[in-house]
Amino acid sequence: MRQLAAAYLLLISASPALGGTLVVRVVDPAGRPVDDAVVTIEPVGRPAKPALRAGPYRVEQRDMVFHPFVSVVPVGAMVAFPNFDATRHHVYSFSPAKRFELKLFARDQSRSVRFDKAGIIAIGCNIHDRMSAFLFVTNNGWAQRAERGTTMFRDAPSGPSKITVWHPFLRTPSSTVSRTLPLGEGSRAETFVVRLRAPPLHGMDGY
Amino acid sequence: MRALFAACLAAFGASQAAAADGGFDLLSPQTLMLSGDVRLMGVGGERSWVNDGFGKLRYGGKHDNKEGPFRVLPRVGEANLVWQPRFGWALSGTVSAVAQDKDGMEAGLSEAYLSFKPLAGGPVKFSARAGLMWPPVSLEHSGADWAVAETITPSAINSWIGEEVKVIGFEASLSAKLGEHQLTATAALFDVNDSAGALLAFRGWALHDVKALAFRRQPLPELNEFMEYAQPRFTHPVKEMDGAFLSRLGYYVKLAWQPPLPVRLEVLRYDNRSNPEAYNADMEWGWRTRFGNVGLVADLGPATQIRTQAIRGRALMGYEEQGRIWVDTRFRSAFALVTQRLANGSVSGRIEAFATRNQGGMVVDDDDEKGWAATLGARRTLGAHASVLLEALRVSSRREARQREGLSSRQIQTQLQAALRLHW
Repeated sequence: MRQLAAAYLLLISASPALGGTLVVRVVDPAGRPVDDAVVTIEPVGRPAKPALRAGPYRVEQRDMVFHPFVSVVPVGAMVAFPNFDATRHHVYSFSPAKRFELKLFARDQSRSVRFDKAGIIAIGCNIHDRMSAFLFVTNNGWAQRAERGTTMFRDAPSGPSKITVWHPFLRTPSSTVSRTLPLGEGSRAETFVVRLRAPPLHGMDGY
Repeated sequence: MRALFAACLAAFGASQAAAADGGFDLLSPQTLMLSGDVRLMGVGGERSWVNDGFGKLRYGGKHDNKEGPFRVLPRVGEANLVWQPRFGWALSGTVSAVAQDKDGMEAGLSEAYLSFKPLAGGPVKFSARAGLMWPPVSLEHSGADWAVAETITPSAINSWIGEEVKVIGFEASLSAKLGEHQLTATAALFDVNDSAGALLAFRGWALHDVKALAFRRQPLPELNEFMEYAQPRFTHPVKEMDGAFLSRLGYYVKLAWQPPLPVRLEVLRYDNRSNPEAYNADMEWGWRTRFGNVGLVADLGPATQIRTQAIRGRALMGYEEQGRIWVDTRFRSAFALVTQRLANGSVSGRIEAFATRNQGGMVVDDDDEKGWAATLGARRTLGAHASVLLEALRVSSRREARQREGLSSRQIQTQLQAALRLHW
């Protein structure tokens, strides 16, 4: 019995203090929900929970667009890049966290890349300039994409924590905005208002 | 014998594998595109420029009468065959052959150029094109078949680019992101567009989707007394007029800028640097033509976009006598096109104004012109391979030279078109 109690005490003291539920909303100055933001929680002075590899992860090329536009991927994951289009794609990235290029012939050709460093990966196609996607590679288990502007953490930590919102078009130097909050054990909602720059406008290209 | 056969098979297999690895794709369904349109057009009024008249539209009154009543006729507008072979992952070609309705079917080569787009090593991207191609002026055309995106008829500015401004040259672009700004600089050297400006001087502006084809010619309306001796009733847009190929090079430079706003601004300067005193056996002349074009694309809302262009230029031709050159045509035009994207298509409205003013000695103010046009268009996609376009266009212009044909100087035409566009 004492061994069991000791083991239990060891367990709860080793793991970060688990709090309640945190709902984060990301909106623009007009109050409209913003798609494709990634929200992360970093407990102050304590390590974050590790990111779990829950794959399979893939960035599809379909109808001359990358799907999804933004993905959250744990460090060390393999991401597949299947090409479903009738045309070849030359997928590449020069981001410091991973430089790569993939020559993918049309229809069903797929190759995979392992992302072993945390960071933001900006992906493009050298043949089709309009194609763009981002990978948010992280070892933080509290990192989620805000679909339709909202994301919910059921197992948010308690204690002072830094909440960060990242979006590829955010008009700040690091494309992030953060605030530090004393998270508790109950439920809590936070709203971030972000100003985004316009996505690239194309003249008439292709000729 | 068997060993030889086996060796051949092995070599063939190896070459196919090497080709696949090297990314060569010379002739496959992926490299070919067939597109075109059939249309119903309704128009009346003066004879079209296509039929040697002064009419501003592709179609007009009956050929044998000077003016005709409103009539509705079916037409095959255009058929395009585009071949885009790939020579690896950075080099590709575009060859576009067109058959178009132009007082009978006219077929020819529209564009033939190589594109080089290597994978950038860093933040600056380089790309290049070389061959027979349109300069990147138009904000209304897109795709390898240079199709008008939202309407059937492009603006007067882009109609002129399509019918008379095509070059054989070498073009290079550099594109970079500086902070939150995207900048692209383009420069080209070219030849063979020696007669650019002839249509604007002798016929004036027009609104249509007829394309300049290599070795083919555009008709001209009745010229003034002097010019009937010095110029034939046609002009070849793609033709070397002033000496050997590449002996006198023209250039165009373009700068495109997108700040951290949903706005893109483009500025282009063109100068064909041709010799206005050069002429060939047919008495077609070289034209020294220069223009500046400014373009703007802006998102006015989540599904609304405006595109505008403004052009100002000058075309010179002939001998200088008593301080004046034979032809000195100043031309200018501007349009604004607003497009509202819908679930399966779009609606667009465009207004524009155009004018020419002659300061030369032999082509004078009866060839001056002033006019405007208003266009309403709607487009609907029908699946992956077809779309339907409807268009209503009204153009009003004044040109005294029409009196040479017994027409009044001021002409107004209304054109209605319905087109079915197909694409494989």
